[in-house]
Amino acid sequence: MSETASMWEKLGFRKASGVSEAGWGQTLFAGLISLIYFLPVLLIIITSFKLQTEALAIPPKFIPTHLFGLIPDAYVFTPTLENYTSVFSRSMTAGAAAENTGFDRYFFNSIVIASVSVFLALIIGTLAAFGFSRYPLKGNDTYLFVILTTRMLPAIVVIIPVILMFRITGLSGSYLGIIMLYTAFNLPFTIWMMKSFFDELSLDVEDAARLDGSSDVKVFFKICLPQVIAGLAATFVFGLILTWNEFLFALLLTGVDTRTVPVGMSQAVAGGGIGVLWGLLAAIETLFLIPVFFVTFFLQDHLLRGVTFGTVKR
Amino acid sequence: MSTIELKQATKKYGDFVAARDVDLSVKKGEVVCLLGPSGCGKTTTLRMIAGLERITSGEVIIAGQRMNELAPEKRNIAMVFQFYALYPALTVGQNIAMPLHHEKISAAEINSRVDKVAEILHLGPVLKRLPGQISEGEKQRVAVARAIVRDPNCFLFDEPLSRLDVELRHSMRGQIKQVLANLSKATVIVTHDQLEALTMADRIAIMKDGLIEQVGTPHEVFAKPANVFVGSFIGTPQMNLVEAQLQNFSKGKARISFNGQNLEITTNERVGALKSPKITLGIRPRAFATESKASTENIQAKAELIEPMGAETLVHARTQGGNDIRVVVPRQMRVKIGEALHLRPDPSQIHVFGEDAKAVRA
Amino acid sequence: MNPITTAPPPTLFTPTPDNWKLAIMIGLIVAVLAMILLPPAVSFWSVGAMAAMVAASFVVNAYRRYYYGGLLVAPAIAVLVVMNIFPLLWSLGLSFFAYQSNQQTIRFVGLANYIKVLADELKAPENWANLTNTAMFVVLTVTTQMIMGFLLALMFAKQFPLRKYLLILVLTPMMLSVVAAGVFFSYYYDPTFGLLSYFIRIFSGQQFILMDNKAGAVAGIVFADAWMWSPFVMLLVLAGLVSVPKYLYEAAAIDRVSGWRQFWSITFPYIRGLLMLALLFRTIEAFKMADLVILLTKGGNGTMTISYHLIRIANEQNKTSEGAAISYVMLFIVIVLTNLYLYIANRRTVEPAHE
Repeated sequence: MSETASMWEKLGFRKASGVSEAGWGQTLFAGLISLIYFLPVLLIIITSFKLQTEALAIPPKFIPTHLFGLIPDAYVFTPTLENYTSVFSRSMTAGAAAENTGFDRYFFNSIVIASVSVFLALIIGTLAAFGFSRYPLKGNDTYLFVILTTRMLPAIVVIIPVILMFRITGLSGSYLGIIMLYTAFNLPFTIWMMKSFFDELSLDVEDAARLDGSSDVKVFFKICLPQVIAGLAATFVFGLILTWNEFLFALLLTGVDTRTVPVGMSQAVAGGGIGVLWGLLAAIETLFLIPVFFVTFFLQDHLLRGVTFGTVKR
Repeated sequence: MSTIELKQATKKYGDFVAARDVDLSVKKGEVVCLLGPSGCGKTTTLRMIAGLERITSGEVIIAGQRMNELAPEKRNIAMVFQFYALYPALTVGQNIAMPLHHEKISAAEINSRVDKVAEILHLGPVLKRLPGQISEGEKQRVAVARAIVRDPNCFLFDEPLSRLDVELRHSMRGQIKQVLANLSKATVIVTHDQLEALTMADRIAIMKDGLIEQVGTPHEVFAKPANVFVGSFIGTPQMNLVEAQLQNFSKGKARISFNGQNLEITTNERVGALKSPKITLGIRPRAFATESKASTENIQAKAELIEPMGAETLVHARTQGGNDIRVVVPRQMRVKIGEALHLRPDPSQIHVFGEDAKAVRA
Repeated sequence: MNPITTAPPPTLFTPTPDNWKLAIMIGLIVAVLAMILLPPAVSFWSVGAMAAMVAASFVVNAYRRYYYGGLLVAPAIAVLVVMNIFPLLWSLGLSFFAYQSNQQTIRFVGLANYIKVLADELKAPENWANLTNTAMFVVLTVTTQMIMGFLLALMFAKQFPLRKYLLILVLTPMMLSVVAAGVFFSYYYDPTFGLLSYFIRIFSGQQFILMDNKAGAVAGIVFADAWMWSPFVMLLVLAGLVSVPKYLYEAAAIDRVSGWRQFWSITFPYIRGLLMLALLFRTIEAFKMADLVILLTKGGNGTMTISYHLIRIANEQNKTSEGAAISYVMLFIVIVLTNLYLYIANRRTVEPAHE
């Protein structure tokens, strides 16, 4: 009995929290709204299974099946996986050898650049947040405000000198350059968020651990970090979403070898002069969406808790 | 009419029964305390009365009206929450005024009523402050003020004093008792502190594992505990519980043996009717007289630990048979560790519990 | 574990690793010499090496004297200085020069760039128009997002079956790449094969061209942007809503507080901070809006924003200094807005009791 109960809870059916309960009626209502909201994404996913002619058909073809003759022919398309295979290689004309489109490389770059820079920002930022929280400097608030302001700037303000700087140092088009830049891009938010988490922790526990003979390093790893998991998770998700889809820096600062998917996507849209290949673009976006979607889904519970602490306290 | 009545009220969470067949009635002007260890269902019972928990079965009747399905706001009750539940964004004055907005009265009338209540509870100087800026004791009084500012059917208090320090608790107990006496409403107070219950309540309902074990006046539950649990729960230091065998019973005298020692005590007639000789004796630490010589009517023991309590001294002693008992002796009697004691229980204060843990009563 | 004694600070000319004053002096001298004598690429690296030396001496100093705080903060500060603050100062410097990235000449012109950007008869009106457009987008998108996000949050503030799965559906737009979202909205808005046109044709019998006038183009961009970012507002508001202690609602029920009053007295104070935060973030982001405009209208039909204009000037036309000047005007506006926000947030914020 108790095991089934916990399984149901895992499925999101029941959860003990400060939130009031509502029944299936609410599910129905919210489900309808959510589906309407999700519709543009759903259409992208549907389009990814269509050929170009079907993607441009009028009336729009929504449904991959006749549903035993219930749906008129005009609305039905034949699902195909062709777009997904041609994301990575395609032949321009029938019979020509398949050509590598480079998207395998772009996906690899996106994964490496986003994950490394988000993790770096998380490590450096968490340490700094702990420093700001536990060893306040003179004029602490001012430092924090300056750090925060750098996040508030239009990216375009820094981009010109960054381009110049990268050109001079040869960092342009290298992994190191774009990773460093994204790390800096994620840092202010990380510091700010993690500091508000560390500020909330009870100092008594840390003092007790110190009296018991734990070193400062041990206190940080064994006492403090486990208490801010939610914050780390929420920060990670936000950083990942922003970095994963970042376009402007990537466009201007990545080279042929370090190009990320959003840049590749924009070239796929513009390239060829034959108009946008909707099915192909949809397939790229669908593939590109999957990793962040699942990361967000699995860290969802932490997300809400994480956000609450981000409130400005100044 | 201001009464509360629970009839067979039961609350289940899935398989877990938080409160089982609770029967309780509170008269107008009466203060009833729900007392018990944590997790005994006392707060659940209070929340059932308030309507914050829907009852699974049974009936809640307030002011003569069945309230089972009514939402809390329809029941016209006032409640003081354990953590006070002060609205953090509102000033003390606005907090107290909150229940009055429902009644269609003018702003001037609201102000004068808030001022009046604030005066009773000495909150005048802090009316303009926010809950975050006042002391624990003041928060507690604001919570009470918010409850008494209107004219509800009844009052409910959930552990009202648990967050105060000892001294403050002492003075608030008196204040609340006085305020309640003037209001003359049915009141239910939940507490785990027996001193609070004994001093504030007209009647006490002692709960354990979702069941009411005994309801009675403070005097009754102390002097005539219905069972072993109530006996051991009420009274400090705790009642001594000694397992014993009933040897025989004649002419009001029972011969009892425990761990090899025999004892003859005067007790009530019903003891003779017990089916099983296995009994539990309950003797309060203050119910012993010390005698100079050993006899069949007293218990032989050796002092093991001495705890001076000021006016009296608490002695932990071990009987010949190996039972640990607590005895309170006057301060003047200088007991030393290791000293032999001959303890004669006051026959009128021996509680005899049968094998089913229920008290044997005359 | 606090130290009882700390080492005395080294005297000025003792060459120890923790002598940061000496490190700064040597660093400055070497940097200036390098900039004067060496070619740019080499001098850049020399300056970098000197900065690293100064930083290292700070770290050693902090470690020896137990300034753990400084030690922990140092890496973050280093990254931010190199990647954010230094470029910022550089572009501030550039804004006072006449410089184009595709030419070698550089010449000090003082405030001329700013005057050109803000008051020149030819350039200024365009800039002001773009700024007005941007302001319009900020107001429209942020208002729409706040309302939609708030309503969505209210819908999810209760616990109900399958909530978790529906919530992730609503969060998905936020995870899309702007490129894909922009291109696909142009697909949905397309007059011949777009969905919008298709549905309107069912009722009106005519093809519907959304983007052929300013109102339509703006509406199209605002809708796409609001759709993408309302989930962000929703997340923040929802976090506020679920953080309200349940006992406050119980007390309100007992006190017979009306729903309207309950919202303003209990719920709203809890979400106000997060609402303001959402407002701030979204305002700044909307101020930077360029990508959706590029993808949907290419700045046509009166939808040119200052940010897109800046990208054109700086990147496509290589007018680096002029771009830097516009950047700094934007920066000034953002800082004013931010401080206005902080002023309002602080004036109203009361410390809620943490029970």
